[in-house]
Amino acid sequence: MAESIVVKSPKKHVNLFYSLDCEELANKVASHSQNNITLQNIKWRSFADGFPNIFINNAEELRGQHVAFLASFSSPAQVFEQLSVIYALPRLFVSSFTLVLPFFPTGSFERMEEEGDVATAFTLARMLSNIPISRGGPTSLVIYDIHALQERFYFGDEVLPLFETGIPLLKERLQQLPDADNVVIAFPDDGAWKRFHKQFDNYSVVVCTKVREGDKRIVRLKEGHVSGHHVVIVDDLVQSGGTLIECQKVLAANGAAKVSAYVTHGVFPNQSWLRFTHKDEASEKAFAYFWITDSCPVTVKALANKAPFEVLSLAGSIANALQI
Amino acid sequence: MAATPPLPPFPATSTKSLKLSHSPLLLSSKNRSNFITSCEIRRSFENHRNWTIEHFSNMNNRDSIHSNNSNSFSSSLVSATASQLPMKNSKKVVLFYSAETKSLAYNIASESDAIELRSISWGKFPDGFPNIFIPNAQGIRGQHVAFLASFSSPAVIFEQIPVIYALPKLFVASFTLVLPFFPTGTSERMEDEGDIATAFTLARLLSNIPISRGGPTSLVTFDIHALQERFYFGDNILPCFESGIPLLKRRLQDLPDSDNISIAFPDDGAWKRFHKQLQHFPTVVCAKVREGDKRIVRIKEGEPKGRHIVIVDDLVQSGGTLIECQKVLAAHGASKISAYVTHGIFPNKSWERFGHDNGGNPESAFTYFWITDSCPLTVKEVMHRPPFEVLSLASSISASLQI
Repeated sequence: MAESIVVKSPKKHVNLFYSLDCEELANKVASHSQNNITLQNIKWRSFADGFPNIFINNAEELRGQHVAFLASFSSPAQVFEQLSVIYALPRLFVSSFTLVLPFFPTGSFERMEEEGDVATAFTLARMLSNIPISRGGPTSLVIYDIHALQERFYFGDEVLPLFETGIPLLKERLQQLPDADNVVIAFPDDGAWKRFHKQFDNYSVVVCTKVREGDKRIVRLKEGHVSGHHVVIVDDLVQSGGTLIECQKVLAANGAAKVSAYVTHGVFPNQSWLRFTHKDEASEKAFAYFWITDSCPVTVKALANKAPFEVLSLAGSIANALQI
Repeated sequence: MAATPPLPPFPATSTKSLKLSHSPLLLSSKNRSNFITSCEIRRSFENHRNWTIEHFSNMNNRDSIHSNNSNSFSSSLVSATASQLPMKNSKKVVLFYSAETKSLAYNIASESDAIELRSISWGKFPDGFPNIFIPNAQGIRGQHVAFLASFSSPAVIFEQIPVIYALPKLFVASFTLVLPFFPTGTSERMEDEGDIATAFTLARLLSNIPISRGGPTSLVTFDIHALQERFYFGDNILPCFESGIPLLKRRLQDLPDSDNISIAFPDDGAWKRFHKQLQHFPTVVCAKVREGDKRIVRIKEGEPKGRHIVIVDDLVQSGGTLIECQKVLAAHGASKISAYVTHGIFPNKSWERFGHDNGGNPESAFTYFWITDSCPLTVKEVMHRPPFEVLSLASSISASLQI
């Protein structure tokens, strides 16, 4: 029988621009790609009135090239200046344009429960849907672990959302652990289970849930076996960390040998990651590992790999996504 | 993106139940090409929803227009400038506003009974992103709604855009965005490939406002920096370009030396923007001339000697241009020098460079420095400091909401 020959299409050469916060991640992405990704520069300056004064270096050399921009909207203030670049790049006669936005903020405010709620996820999706098309057609928009699966449909026809996930990075890391065969995955709520359970078919799974008791909301174990296992809580993002801490308590109370956590996006406003660092015996026993990706570069810089945090880089995954 | 809901069919019987709110007019054949008609057709549906169609076309100020048609609609004379609209045609407008523009919003509402202020609950999530709620959203259904915005920095843009994108979709009758000062206006061209014209970015953001039942959003802005920017906007937005110059003209008429005023333009750009509105004043035009390395301001035309000169421009940033002009005008014998800009941006407190001339020092200080309240953060700082005087856009905005 003849061997099937897999012919891979030649790798695309991509010119990668990036926001200032993403410089480190951009460098890692470029080094993953063995010369298929060239880093490009932008002059980021401000006028006296605070508005951006931006210049794209070597704009004419981009003609006929694949171009990408690695963005990070860690606060509302940064959106306008990066958007100015995002709206301009596709019009420079590039052959295609890809926006890599590893973390899509506002993702948790995506529904109107009452008339009058303003769903900022809709606002941001609309702003991104308005990216001008380029010669390559609609802009590709690469996002990791978007908060609500329904948000896929908030985007208009001029962007092609490409939803990636950080879970493969976690699974690779878990396999390296000495107690890899004792790992059980826990989801802090049904939402997390819906988002992720299909990627953990080979693992035993625990599901938590919040139950109302009088005024209080208490985390309980809904299903799964915890006792004696290394339980890894998995969610898309962490804000204050309250949910994770409540889960950890319940899991420990139910006999977990170790508890760790993984979130793709370590948002951690107001330095809330401090609640997890190993300061004393109690906190050292709480979380053995806390994995985040480098989707939120501001956090990554701040926590600088302090135990129990370990940063799993999206660089390789992004480099691959740029080849799509 | 939602498609425009089809307009409810207009039954033939409605002509009988029309409320005629205007006096009848005759369109004479001579004037057919130069007329303005305002048609208001109101029909109440069972649910007390008022549905209004308004048509406008351009007019000159000929008064001899009459109409004696009595069948489907009546029309009334409306003059070309919004500020002269007869008050009995007032449409009720619900006005929302951003935190920065609260003071101006109150001033606007006090100009007209037809404007009702409503507030928005502005909060933030811990991650810094907006947590906004529009109270009583159902109460604005079928109403004309407006939002008074102020984009004083890139950070606040993303706080106000969610509201601007959300309001039109709440079944309002129409949506108007009042953005007195359009920032980024000076960054509106690419001289080199690679320049980023942020005016294009902002125009694109605003062009993407969802349409409402009233059709495209109206965008009211004052003295936009470059006239070409009108064409940066897409089809779903109707820019309405107003000016603060009428406020200046009224103020100048009140001055004791109003007959001794000359208008100076700091450059040709300002002259192009404003000279038509200031035709009945003597003018002086300045120009920047290259002399070796330096750029010097010179007088290109006009005679400042013995006059009270008012330098007019759309905006001020560092103030350098105005100060250079002032020196040249004083050197040529101007007896008093004042300035008017619609938009007092004054980043980094640059307004501190402008001292008050109580008499005799036109070369180093200003008699008056007029700004409007388009830039609310500056207004707070200079309100009670001579030579600054704030001319309010409130009445002009109130009138423009009636368009």
